[in-house]
Amino acid sequence: MIAIALANVFNPMCLALIWFGTILGIIFGSVPGLSATMAVVLFLPLTFSMEATQGIALLVGLYMGGISGGLISAILLKIPGTPSSISTVFDGGPMAEKGEAGRALGVGILYSFIGSVIGIIALAFISPLLAKVCLLFGAADYFGVAVFSLTIIAALSGKDMLNGLIAGLIGLALSMVGMAPIDAQVRYTFGNYQLLSGFDITVLLIGVFAVTDIILAGFERKTLSASFEKKKWNLKGYGLSVREFIQQIPNAVISSIIGIGIGILPGIGGSTAGLIAYTTEKSRSKHPEKFGTGIIDGVVASETANNAVIGGSLVPLLCMGIPGNTVAAVFLGGLLVHGISPGPLIFDKSGQYVYGIYFALLVSSIFMLVFERLGLPIFAKLLDIPKHILLPIIMVMCCVGAYSANSRVFDVKCVLFFALLGLFFKVFKIPSTPLIIGFILGTMFEENLRQALQASHGSWSIFVTRPISCAFLIIAVVFCTLTVRRNLKEKRAAEAAGEMFDISEQG
Amino acid sequence: MTNKIRDVLCSVIMLAFGIMMIVLARDIPHKIASDVGSAYVPTFLGVCIVVVSAAKLILTLLDKKPSASRKIRFTKDALGGFGTIGLMAVYMLIFEPVGFIVSSALYLFVQMILLSDNKNRNPILFAIIAVALPVAIDALFVYAIHMPLPVGILGF
Repeated sequence: MIAIALANVFNPMCLALIWFGTILGIIFGSVPGLSATMAVVLFLPLTFSMEATQGIALLVGLYMGGISGGLISAILLKIPGTPSSISTVFDGGPMAEKGEAGRALGVGILYSFIGSVIGIIALAFISPLLAKVCLLFGAADYFGVAVFSLTIIAALSGKDMLNGLIAGLIGLALSMVGMAPIDAQVRYTFGNYQLLSGFDITVLLIGVFAVTDIILAGFERKTLSASFEKKKWNLKGYGLSVREFIQQIPNAVISSIIGIGIGILPGIGGSTAGLIAYTTEKSRSKHPEKFGTGIIDGVVASETANNAVIGGSLVPLLCMGIPGNTVAAVFLGGLLVHGISPGPLIFDKSGQYVYGIYFALLVSSIFMLVFERLGLPIFAKLLDIPKHILLPIIMVMCCVGAYSANSRVFDVKCVLFFALLGLFFKVFKIPSTPLIIGFILGTMFEENLRQALQASHGSWSIFVTRPISCAFLIIAVVFCTLTVRRNLKEKRAAEAAGEMFDISEQG
Repeated sequence: MTNKIRDVLCSVIMLAFGIMMIVLARDIPHKIASDVGSAYVPTFLGVCIVVVSAAKLILTLLDKKPSASRKIRFTKDALGGFGTIGLMAVYMLIFEPVGFIVSSALYLFVQMILLSDNKNRNPILFAIIAVALPVAIDALFVYAIHMPLPVGILGF
């Protein structure tokens, strides 16, 4: 089966499709408003007429390129091209401002490749074992995972944990809009039928992360041209020395493990993986205060983790038919069209296609490494466009992106609503990252909470009697307690030194 | 406005939001007997928001440290900021009736004029970009992606 898969993938047509998919994916990933999901959705119909391996190879290229491409706009424009690159902005953006755009891109691409390869290895060799662990998860455990993910992000996204928690809760509240899971009751729509399906995550991301920044640029228009400088950059290789590469090995390994683990858990995608890897590396680092000022550690953590998600998300998809994220969900559709039924027997029934996916992923990650690096001079040129021209152009692309998410103008209007919400958060110093995570985890949070309570006849004791759920909840509580103690310690130290300490400032 | 007033204001707004969530959740019917119902989680979240906001409000009011009374200086360009919000609102309102190309061209031109200063204002360049970009994007979506964008009453 491996030989057949090798022959199927390593033929000129299939390689050309992987190359085409990867390049197109990078373009979709790099343009704010377009995404890896959109790329896979738009090109899925094209694969219907293709031979199974070729069709899957194209989708694999789009997925790989789309996830990696997000780092380009995250670094050059400080706007994540895809949700997966949110945490790349934290240090990639400041690096670009310091004139290290090329280095940030080089490091991002290299560690995207490393994360992808580690993810593929995990997928190929340990997927059956990890799938068995996942099979042990019940509704209460998934609820524990959601609470754990949300609290860790809320705790680490600012100096005031209460503000982080408020943001996370608002995100969860926004996900309540529309038809409820399980009994399809309509909630918080205020009679607007457009809200029946709730808010779209793409629209929320565009509004909070992109349009809010354009409004803020409006408030600072007097310094807009002054703050704009042509970024000079010089990049050799991938922007880091052998010594730096060795120093980053633990970071890359830990971030890859986080990415693979998060990828395997359904409902949590690359954005959460990147954020958790970033915050983990920040808390593990000897110099956490440097995070957010433009250091490669943050870019390495984010990009390694979000690309490792690709391999991880395919583990439950192939072994159980459960997609790890939205792109994997579309990918599942592609497999079914070609008569490949994911499940525990997929290795016996469709082994050649499974191995074909492994090889296509590997080839695509190599193409990504080579062609994203070769295209850097072109991508970095984006910085030369004056902001008073670039920002309105981005705004138009954001509106197009919001419209194309569901082909409705209502989403375009929602972009402004979320941009104003983002502005409100900025004014009141509330971090916006927990808002996004809360929104992403909202459905998972509610579904599993209700299912668990149904199973326990309304008793909350199920969350502490289930070992996995209990473990996640204990870790969340311990983590929160430690963070509060650390924040208070920092505040007291600052007050004692006579410094003004604004507890609400984002870290 | 001081840090304290800002945090009090934020807590009060969030407190009101939490209470609103709880009140509106009371109208959500309970259909499946064995299930906790669709109002359960929104009510739970509303209570959490109220508790966290109340905690923030109390902590802020009790804070006597000098950092709380630090004044926040507002040195922003109100015309640029609110003008941008206004332009975006108009753009989104005319997006469908006027069509993507015309509405985007108008928005691009006016927004570029608003964000530029006397030194870098170049109306001819702005006009060229304002027309060329929407036409190119529309062509890409119509002919390559096969996803038409709104055409509006003018038919393009």
